[in-house]
Amino acid sequence: MSPIIKRRGEEFTLPSKYLLFILTVLCSALILITFNTNLFSGPLNSFAGVFVVPFQKGITKVGTHIKNTTDRLESITKLLDENEKLKAQIDDLTKENTLLWQEKYELAHLRELFELKNEYAEYPMVGATVIGSDPGNWYKSFVINKGSDDGLSVDMNVIAGSGLVGRIIEVGPSWSTVETIIEDKAAVSGMVLATGDNLVVEGDLQRYKDGVIRFSYLHDDGDEVTTTNKVVTSNISSNYVPGILIGYIEDIQDDSNNITKSGTIRPVVDFEHLSEVLVITELKKKAN
Amino acid sequence: MNIRRVIVNFIFLLASFILQSTVFRALDFGGIAPNLLLIFTASLGFIKGDKAGLLAGFFCGLLYDVFFGAYLGFYALIFMYVGFLIGKLHEIFFSNNVAIPITFITIADFVYGFICYVLLFMFRNRFDIKFYMMNIIIPEVVYTALVAIIYYPIILKANNKIDEIEQRSAKKFV
Repeated sequence: MSPIIKRRGEEFTLPSKYLLFILTVLCSALILITFNTNLFSGPLNSFAGVFVVPFQKGITKVGTHIKNTTDRLESITKLLDENEKLKAQIDDLTKENTLLWQEKYELAHLRELFELKNEYAEYPMVGATVIGSDPGNWYKSFVINKGSDDGLSVDMNVIAGSGLVGRIIEVGPSWSTVETIIEDKAAVSGMVLATGDNLVVEGDLQRYKDGVIRFSYLHDDGDEVTTTNKVVTSNISSNYVPGILIGYIEDIQDDSNNITKSGTIRPVVDFEHLSEVLVITELKKKAN
Repeated sequence: MNIRRVIVNFIFLLASFILQSTVFRALDFGGIAPNLLLIFTASLGFIKGDKAGLLAGFFCGLLYDVFFGAYLGFYALIFMYVGFLIGKLHEIFFSNNVAIPITFITIADFVYGFICYVLLFMFRNRFDIKFYMMNIIIPEVVYTALVAIIYYPIILKANNKIDEIEQRSAKKFV
C-alpha cells in the first residue's frame, strides 16, 4: 500500500494535502504560462460563453430593473435634503454662470480649431451592451455582449458618449472583457490638447472615490497647462488610437524633482452608470 | 465522490458567480458587492471538509480568472487555500449552528481581502492601508457576512439533502 494513494475498498482516494500540493503546482504553472502566452484562453473562453454569458445577459436586464426601483425609493429621502442644498447652490451658480458664458465662447473657438468630433467620426465603431461587472471590489472591469464573432479583438478601444472608457483585454466568441482607464492597474499615454504636452494617465482606486484619476510625467516648463485643459489620448500611445477625449485637468502640482508635474484629471465618462458603449474596431498600428 | 453532489455544487458555483457579477453589482452599496464565491468556497469547506473546500475554491477562482484575472490561476490559488484552511476547521467545529460558520466566512473574507490588497496593491506602492481597509475590505466583509446569513443555510440544506439521498441508496444496496 503506497502512502500517497490509499486503497479503501475499490475506491482510490487522494489525501487532501497531496491534492492541494498538486493543484498549487498546477496554478503556479498556469500563472507562469499565461504570463507569457495565451495558450488556454480559447477553450476556457468558449466554456464561459456557453455556461455563464447567456445567464448574465438575462439577469442584467432584470437586475437593472430592480436597481431602478430601489434607486427611486432611496431618492425620496435624498430629495428633501438636496432641495435645501440646491437652493443655496443657486446663488453660487448664478455667479458661476456669468463666468461660464465667457468660457463658452472660448470653447466654441477651441472646438473649431480641433474639430474633435469629426476626428471620432473617422473611426469605424460598433455598439455593445454591458452585461456584467468584475465581481471583486478591487477593479472596475466589465463584460460586454460582443466578441470575436462580431469582429472584436484584444486592444480595441472602447468609448462611451464622448470620452474614453478603456480597452478590450480579453475576447470570447460572444463576449469581451473591458479594462477601464479608472482601474488601478491601467495606464494611458495622454496629451494636453492645448499645448501638446504628453503625460501618463493612471487609474487610481483611492482618488476615484472623489471622481478623479491621476496623471503624472507632465513636462511643462512654461507653466502653460492649466486646470480645465482637455486631455486626449496621445499619438505615441501603444494601445489607444489618438485624439479620444479622456477628461479635464482638475488639479496640477509640481513634482519634487521640479522637472515633471502631476495631478488629477476628471474623466468625461460616467463610469458608475455605463450601459451602452461603442467599440472602435480599428486597432492602433504598431511597429511590430 | 457522488455525481449528484458534483452537479448540484457546480450549479451553486455558477449561480454564485453570475449573481455576483450581475444582480449584486446592481445592488451594491457604495460600489461594494458581496463576495458570493468566497461564501460558497468557505461554506463547502466547512460543511464537507478540506478536500471539498479546496476543490470548490479552485474552480471558483478559475472561473473568476477566466473572466477577469490577468493571469490564469492567480485567484484559483487564493480561493483554494481559503477553502482548504476553512475545511481544516470542519472536523473541530462542525455543527448545525449557523453562527460559527458565519464567523469563519467573515474571517475568511477579511483574510481574502487582505491578501488581495497585499498582492495586487501593496506590491505596486499603494501603501495607504487605512484607506483600503475602510473603503474596500471592511465594507465587503460586512456585506458578505450579511449575505452569508441567508446563503449559507441554503448550501447547507442542499448538501444535507444529498447526504440523505446517498445514505438511503446505500442502505438499499446493503
